[in-house]
Amino acid sequence: MDQIDILSGIKPDSELYRIRRERPDYVEGTELCRQTVLEPGHGFGIGHAMRAALAARMARLIGRNDLARAYDLMLEEAGSNETLAAIGSAAELPADEDIFTQALVRHADLVTRTPRDNTSADIERLAVAGLSNPQIIALSELIAFVNFEARVIVGLEALELVA
Amino acid sequence: MSASRFKVKALAWAPYIEPVDVATATEEQLAAMQVTPSNTKVSPYVRTLAHDPESYVARTKLFNAIMYAKGGLDRAERELGALVASAVNRCVYCASVHARRYVELSGRSNVVEEIYVRGLDGPFEPKIQAIVDFCRTLSQTPSHVGRDQVQALRDHGLSKAEIVDLIHSAAIFGWANRLMHTLGHSTPVDDR
Repeated sequence: MDQIDILSGIKPDSELYRIRRERPDYVEGTELCRQTVLEPGHGFGIGHAMRAALAARMARLIGRNDLARAYDLMLEEAGSNETLAAIGSAAELPADEDIFTQALVRHADLVTRTPRDNTSADIERLAVAGLSNPQIIALSELIAFVNFEARVIVGLEALELVA
Repeated sequence: MSASRFKVKALAWAPYIEPVDVATATEEQLAAMQVTPSNTKVSPYVRTLAHDPESYVARTKLFNAIMYAKGGLDRAERELGALVASAVNRCVYCASVHARRYVELSGRSNVVEEIYVRGLDGPFEPKIQAIVDFCRTLSQTPSHVGRDQVQALRDHGLSKAEIVDLIHSAAIFGWANRLMHTLGHSTPVDDR
């Protein structure tokens, strides 16, 4: 059982559990991707705890509080603080928060909620806030992964309810 | 099969950030981009994502498994899932690539014409409607996906294993669109 089975309500001996294992490249590939965006070997200065906090926040924006709680736990284990806890809980950040952190959060919110409305100006804002190109890509991959994972869980959960 | 002659133009893609330069790339970036002495041409998309080679390599492997794995859901229907997600997220570049692949595999340019001209409301024929409705909701408002939409897929003959493939093909475009559409923009092919 992995996080996706548990959060989708898939039972260990169920048909859907077996179907997922017929696609080991999906199951293992997703876990490998999770590692590369949440606990990468090279994080480009965006730490594991910040990544977990952003993941929890995005899961809440998507409406998967269960997924958010899994990332809350990851954040606790990585070592939380007031700012990270606020990010994870999907709260507004204080106006005096540093611009780098503000930029990470703003971009995660925007690309999770309304990716269709993103423009070049949103990438320029990241650069102005001090993100390097590798940081821009690492942030984008993290945001996209959580959006992918949440949709896989939503789909599998609905499928598990159908005969 | 289809009376439609609707054609979707091929597009190129240009990033908003400076992509990795093959000449100055690290060993890890070169390996991720699969650059060899005989293969030094790498697309701007790959060079952009190669700024973070670790995530690029893992995601590409997962993407290929989802879109090309043998058996299960028909490849054309995976492309339709990709197209619907790309339409929801207005990723013009991804939509053009996967609309054309869908037509190549299915011959159904009438479905693509409907999506391009009138959008995702349809009406489409029942099985296609079920696929479009499910992938649209999953892409746009995942919290609104319900068992009825999945039951409709089952009623139109999709097995559970095929639905698992469809979920992944729409979801991986929730990922791909969030890269392609936010990190760059489509350009006419002639512009390159």
